[in-house]
Amino acid sequence: MTAVLALKQINKEFGHGHTAVTALKDANFEVAAGQFVAIIGPSGSGKSTFLTIAAGLQTPTSGQVLLNGTELATQTEKARLDYRFNEIGFILQSSNLIPFLNVTEQLKLVDKMAKRPFQKERAQKLLAELALSEEATAYPNELSGGERQRVAIVRALYNDPSVILADEPTASLDTPRSIDVVERLAKEAHQHNKAIVMVTHDQRLISHCDVVYRIEDGVMTRQA
Amino acid sequence: MYLGLKEMRHEKLRYSLLSGVLLLISLVVFMLAGLANGLSNGNREAIDNWQASDVYLNQNANETLSASQVKLADQKYIKGNQVAPLATLSGTLRTTKNAHKTNVSALATSRKGFIMPKITSGHRINGKNQLIISASLKADGYKLGQRVRLGTTKKTAKIVGIYASSTYMIAPTVYTDVATLNRLKDMPVTSGDQQTINGFVAKNGAFKQSNHGGLQHLTMATFINKLPGYSAEQLTLNTMIYFLFAIALAIIGIFMFVLTLQKQALFGVLKVQGIGTKHILAALLTQSIAMAVIGIVIGLGITVSLAQIMPAGLPFVINWPQFGGYSLALLAAAVIGALLSWRTVANIDPAIAIG
Repeated sequence: MTAVLALKQINKEFGHGHTAVTALKDANFEVAAGQFVAIIGPSGSGKSTFLTIAAGLQTPTSGQVLLNGTELATQTEKARLDYRFNEIGFILQSSNLIPFLNVTEQLKLVDKMAKRPFQKERAQKLLAELALSEEATAYPNELSGGERQRVAIVRALYNDPSVILADEPTASLDTPRSIDVVERLAKEAHQHNKAIVMVTHDQRLISHCDVVYRIEDGVMTRQA
Repeated sequence: MYLGLKEMRHEKLRYSLLSGVLLLISLVVFMLAGLANGLSNGNREAIDNWQASDVYLNQNANETLSASQVKLADQKYIKGNQVAPLATLSGTLRTTKNAHKTNVSALATSRKGFIMPKITSGHRINGKNQLIISASLKADGYKLGQRVRLGTTKKTAKIVGIYASSTYMIAPTVYTDVATLNRLKDMPVTSGDQQTINGFVAKNGAFKQSNHGGLQHLTMATFINKLPGYSAEQLTLNTMIYFLFAIALAIIGIFMFVLTLQKQALFGVLKVQGIGTKHILAALLTQSIAMAVIGIVIGLGITVSLAQIMPAGLPFVINWPQFGGYSLALLAAAVIGALLSWRTVANIDPAIAIG
């Protein structure tokens, strides 16, 4: 299996000299298509730093980030924006939905930005897959927390990215809903052959993952 | 486009309030412009009707018609397609029994002078002591065949014709010939070319030789600007209008900036997802243009309706090319106002959406 997203020997330091803080130390990571990978660690361990570097939102102090074999750090700001739009799907902590668009419009926006007609059938199929057909015209504030995260999953999948980055997608959910969301993520990864990376601090969720990385004080270790 | 319009539809109250503010500003702009045009028109309508290009006054008159005295004979210094003598009197038109009194601007020229207005009823001046009056004076009780006095003397003249309404110095006009006006004014000389007048009006006029005989040439634009009070009035009203453009810009700018600050988190999420500064700014621009267009169109509509029901005494003139220009200026203010948030939007770090 070739890696869709690979981070090699990543170091990230904030500040200089005595006040320098090392957020990531020689981190190595890779995820292949169809894999559901969890990154688990306590807060302040460097999880968010890892995610921002993997998404090309920050450049590492040293090391390489390869997305489909292309190094992100050498790209222009504009190219990274396009990369994020085309190749990376995001599921964020609470909600990355736009408050004034209904569920279907959230997906339409993706097509508008990509300058293509609305893919109605694809939208309906994905919404049905995540049991959201009834909610197609609901606004985010009319949805429950679990429904919102399921919409976020649909939105992330909709643009057919190479990799989906999920930042604590269950942070605001209770246990049954958290397990539901994670089960669905695992299913989508396998069914659609997507690389999905989930950052979490919740130990109970890792049984659904194919690979688990642990991160503590900036040191990343792959679990067997 | 999509984002901007969808948000406006979802947040109707917020955006209709700002459209309302822009509506009020555009309404004030259009009302002030209409009044400025009305005042301007009241001052210069008669002058505009002449369709003349040049005015000749006494060089010591400080470019003011009423302060200028020249002789009819001075016309010999001027050449041009058409040259007409001009004498004025700001005075009271009154019937012989003082039943009606109205302040008018009396203008005198030669009987066949090119500035003599076209008659709509009655006949042209064809003899001594005849007057023609602006149609607006009919409403004040003046009619054909009536004998009237002008100013404070006992001399009378007869109304023989009526022409389409015109005003000069905010008063309705009456026209007569030079000799009649001088007689009504009780001037010592009331015939021949030694009569006193105020100046000459010409189309494409020029001095015949380097000796101007004490005359000074003015373009029509200069002449109008030198009408007593004219520039001051126009400058005051126009300055208010220009300030309103700046206020419109500031309001849109501040409002859009505050909204941008409020929506930083959302914009961060959009940027993470690869929807960049360009698209966010496009949404802001769409919104401010849409609000400005709504405000301007309704403002214009209200202005036009108000113009229909305004009392006749309130001078109000809609000048469409000018209103079009002001609409564009308000639109430009809205666009610039939205662009003031550019840096803020550009500086939003998408990383704030993570962690």
